[in-house]
Amino acid sequence: MPPKRKAVGAPQAGVAKAGRTSALSTPGPATPRSLESSFQSDGDDDLNDDDVDETIKRKEEVIAREADEFVNTWAVDSSRFQSRQDGGGSHRDGATQFFGSGKRDFSYLNLKPDHDQKPLWIDPEKGTIILEKFSPDADRVTDFLVTIAEPKSRPHFLHEYQLTAHSLYAGVSIGLQSKDIIDTLDRFLKTPLPESIRLFIESCTKSYGKVKLVLNNNKYFVESSDAELLQKLLRDEVIGKWRVQGSGDITTSYAPTMGGLVIPGTKDAAGVNQADLNKSGNKKTAEDGTAGAAATNEADLYAAINEEDDEDDKDAVHAFEIPETAVEIVQRRCLDLGFPILEEYDFRNDSNNADLEIDLRPNTQIRPYQEQSLSKMFGNGRAKSGIIVLPCGAGKTLVGITAACTIKKGVIVLCTSSMSVVQWRQEFLKWSNINPDDIAVFTAESKNKFSGNTGIIVTTYSMVTNNRERSHDSKKMMDFLKSREWGLMLLDEVHVVPADVFRRVISSIKSHSKLGLTATLLREDDKISHLNFLIGPKLYEANWMELSEKGHIAKVQCAEVWCPMPTEFYDEYLRANSRMKRTLYAMNPRKFQACQYLINYHEARGDKIIVFSDELYSLKQYALKLNKVFIYGGTGQAERMQVLENFQHNPQVNTLFLSKIGDTSLDLPEATCLIQISSHFGSRRQEAQRLGRILRAKRRNDVGFNAFFYSLVSKDTQEMYYSSKRQAFLVDQGYAFKVITQLANIENTPDLAFATAQERRELLQRTLVDNEKGAEDDVETDDLFGKVGRGRGGGAKGRAAAVRRMAGTLGELSGGQDMAYIEQNKAANKGLKKKGAAKAEQSAFFKKLQREKERSRALARQG
Amino acid sequence: MPRAIRGVLIQCEPAIKSIIVHLDSVNNDIIIEDLDEQTLVVKENMVQLLKQKLEDRLKETYRPEEPLADSD
Repeated sequence: MPPKRKAVGAPQAGVAKAGRTSALSTPGPATPRSLESSFQSDGDDDLNDDDVDETIKRKEEVIAREADEFVNTWAVDSSRFQSRQDGGGSHRDGATQFFGSGKRDFSYLNLKPDHDQKPLWIDPEKGTIILEKFSPDADRVTDFLVTIAEPKSRPHFLHEYQLTAHSLYAGVSIGLQSKDIIDTLDRFLKTPLPESIRLFIESCTKSYGKVKLVLNNNKYFVESSDAELLQKLLRDEVIGKWRVQGSGDITTSYAPTMGGLVIPGTKDAAGVNQADLNKSGNKKTAEDGTAGAAATNEADLYAAINEEDDEDDKDAVHAFEIPETAVEIVQRRCLDLGFPILEEYDFRNDSNNADLEIDLRPNTQIRPYQEQSLSKMFGNGRAKSGIIVLPCGAGKTLVGITAACTIKKGVIVLCTSSMSVVQWRQEFLKWSNINPDDIAVFTAESKNKFSGNTGIIVTTYSMVTNNRERSHDSKKMMDFLKSREWGLMLLDEVHVVPADVFRRVISSIKSHSKLGLTATLLREDDKISHLNFLIGPKLYEANWMELSEKGHIAKVQCAEVWCPMPTEFYDEYLRANSRMKRTLYAMNPRKFQACQYLINYHEARGDKIIVFSDELYSLKQYALKLNKVFIYGGTGQAERMQVLENFQHNPQVNTLFLSKIGDTSLDLPEATCLIQISSHFGSRRQEAQRLGRILRAKRRNDVGFNAFFYSLVSKDTQEMYYSSKRQAFLVDQGYAFKVITQLANIENTPDLAFATAQERRELLQRTLVDNEKGAEDDVETDDLFGKVGRGRGGGAKGRAAAVRRMAGTLGELSGGQDMAYIEQNKAANKGLKKKGAAKAEQSAFFKKLQREKERSRALARQG
Repeated sequence: MPRAIRGVLIQCEPAIKSIIVHLDSVNNDIIIEDLDEQTLVVKENMVQLLKQKLEDRLKETYRPEEPLADSD
């Protein structure tokens, strides 16, 4: 039946075309240079490494390996902290062998007499802390634990935290002393504090945060509150050599305190604002007078400011200067010596970089947890580098903007795609009073600079790290970026970018402080710990459950629906290769029915539904069969916009099928229900990001409102295994997945798809045949909104190659064979288009034509 | 003259049956008769071997090297 084949063929042509265009935009190193290739090399969607020189690659590998080793030496179970207690052996009893074959019997830690009042347990080897959330002390301890340990798992009753070097480092950086940490832990533990943990805490807190690298008046200072330590560093042959001569001996000054700094948008901001303005004005005049003078004068200045601030706790700090060129060397040397350098930016006393006119709009109120996260960043009046982890939809962007408004210097924002570049710029304009001319965008399409002498640049990671031949404009722009000093570097979605890309970004663009933002600080390759060294420690991680209880993000019911595979599908599944297996378990007709049932059920409730499928083939089959709109990598720009708009505003369009391009950076607050039919293996990150699509649901504050997250899984296939793995992250955040083995009354659904064995066999045959001839690859375009620049380069060639040669009679071509074109499975997208076109203004001439056509048609029907 | 083979009747889920059929397809030495979606008759002397093969096959699907096994 030729008409049917045509219907299936149409979308494939689209995919092939899009595939070619994306291939064009990533020319290999050998691509001959031409006007066109320089245009194409600006493509900003791929982060592959093919374009980097071999030498650079090798160097990066070495660095990465060294970093790996270094990261490992700071684990709690590294041998340097573990002195095996011999006393442990004497406590052996009958149960001992069941705990790690005797090695993990910690019964030598005697319980305290009042242990039932205490909320904490600790694992002496791994540094894992278990908190009994139901204990009356739990709330107080939680705050403390969040500062010194990383939350690992936070379900309802028992929380698990992990003590790591970095988390302790973060604790120290906001002013905790090792004695405080040890005492507090000891107070709340059910057992005495194990010796190994005490050693670990002491060694971490002793070395971390004691030495700081401070950029002040564009000079780098190594600073410490411990004069002896500095002397020790100076005596070191590598570091001592680099001290700037003539800057005097070690200088002494007073550490800045939180004092006058007020994070905008917080409650006390309004009142203090006025006073703060005056104060900073004073400071500025004083600063101008002394700029360039010897550092001793600066000390006086600090003292003066401190008196002004009338603060009680003045910590003396000592510093010596090092040249810019030596920063890297000194940093590494200090790492070797076991005194990692903490980077801080004293932005209030930075007079070299121009101030940026930016403030939050007066009506902007930031939420308590956002304030808390920022207060960690600006803990002592200086900006610390680090990462803030907030769930999707909890206002990461606003945190970034508030940080920019606090620092008030040049800001560079790096995001993952050109669409989020546009979003970031809009958010800046929405929340702050920044002059639109001061915020510029650097993407493949637009390369403006800001008008004043400082401002904000929003760009993507790949634009900055691109090592290939650049167009003239973007080269100029890069030089501009490199030549400047930035006050703050905002790194959006830090989890997606590989460590070596960060190294490149950080080495090429100089910024005083870095703030990473993410919802899911995890990677399947466990390279996440490198970020601690490249950006900074994790400053804050929000508790998802707490936020959803307070209504900042939606409450979500999660469910896993088990769909058995029909026998004929399972037979085929057992025989198929791994690629076909994935297609088959996505195309499972029972899954299809479950999907149909859930869509019907939730549409009837008035929910807006997003269905995710990684498998392109099944995405299209589902969407066509159920007659719903869909978007995937190959969907054109205009069509995407139209579909999205309809999904948001059209009450007729309640269900949207999305491929994995919709996983991130898609803001659809209307969506309240999410169904997942196929996914990327065991990726915990994808699961969490997808859940994030419904967390910002508009209706989240309605009484009794719940969003729904369904994951459809084919029983007895690998999907079961992957599914349990994927859920790990969300379960750690306290979400519970219900398993549904049977959907009630599913067989009574009207027009249930594939209800008969006959239909199921047809589906199986079609699936096999369609996927045999080289499965379509998902075209991964930049983001949901596609690319604008892309089309121009690839369009003409794509069309030329689509010509086919085939045999046939002339009569057939002219329609003489009495064959009519029918689309049986019409894409719902097209329906939208037609509707949209009808609405559009038509010229009177065409309207007249239309009327005449209709009249003649009516006549023909009658006659 | 009629010939008799000792057999064992197996009743299982359709998915497990599919796996058994798949195992049998290598050299057809397991199944005597395929009765319906959930039942088949297999040779008695092959039952032990079949059990073991089945276990291996299920391991591939569920990968019990993950410490999930003790949760149920």
